[in-house]
Amino acid sequence: MSGTIVGGWSYVIAAYTLTAVVLFSYGVSLFARLRKGSR
Amino acid sequence: MNELANFRTGRLPYYLLITGVLFLLAGSYAGLFVAPPEQYMGQVQRIMYVHVPTAWNWMLGVIFALVSAIVFLINGNYKWDARLEGALEVSTLFAFLLCCQGSIWAKPTWGVWWDWDPRLTSVAVLLFAFLGIVALRNFVDDPARRAVWSAVATIIASVDLPIVYYSVKWWNSLHQQQSSPATVSNQYYFPLRVNAFGMLFLLSAFIMLRSRVASMRLRDELAGPETI
Repeated sequence: MSGTIVGGWSYVIAAYTLTAVVLFSYGVSLFARLRKGSR
Repeated sequence: MNELANFRTGRLPYYLLITGVLFLLAGSYAGLFVAPPEQYMGQVQRIMYVHVPTAWNWMLGVIFALVSAIVFLINGNYKWDARLEGALEVSTLFAFLLCCQGSIWAKPTWGVWWDWDPRLTSVAVLLFAFLGIVALRNFVDDPARRAVWSAVATIIASVDLPIVYYSVKWWNSLHQQQSSPATVSNQYYFPLRVNAFGMLFLLSAFIMLRSRVASMRLRDELAGPETI
């Protein structure tokens, strides 16, 4: 018992993946709306 | 109307978007593979490099929404209503991201996914308030009413922002106090700062592009049937 959290990479990967997926998806949706609006 | 018709931000949002992505890639690489693990939280602390920049920039997004709402109510220029719409939606997205990242960090460190702690609760209140205003804008067809109602609602909702910021100082919060250069060592500060700028560029680009979408709709609505 060192008081340090052991492991934890799965949480780190989850947080970064979620951030990337959400930001990328929103970016794609913005470009789709821009294209639709400019027609 | 002419001001709205001329509401263009050129290529700037695209440059900001590319710069933001590059900064985030560099900052995340440094945060994931270069910075050492923290003494007590170990690897889990690496979530800080994405969570804290999201939080800082979410607050900036809310402040920009508040400024847009106030300026629109003062001068009635729909350019500011379009900016308000952009800031509202992007701030809601960042608040959602912030809650999800925080939840993922909370599980290994606090042992729970969520706690009704003052910081978490005040962020959730603002998230749902902004979600409500975004929904309100979609339900109201009259552009004048939509603009005024959402501007007033944004000003009321933004009262929660100082509560979010000071909640960790005012109450005995489970959430840690704000990090600053004085509380974070240099090894941790570099990826934090690079990602903060990356998120800032991304936030700015998203708000500009979303405002452009809003201005297109407003232009059609305000032009009326006589132009058809």
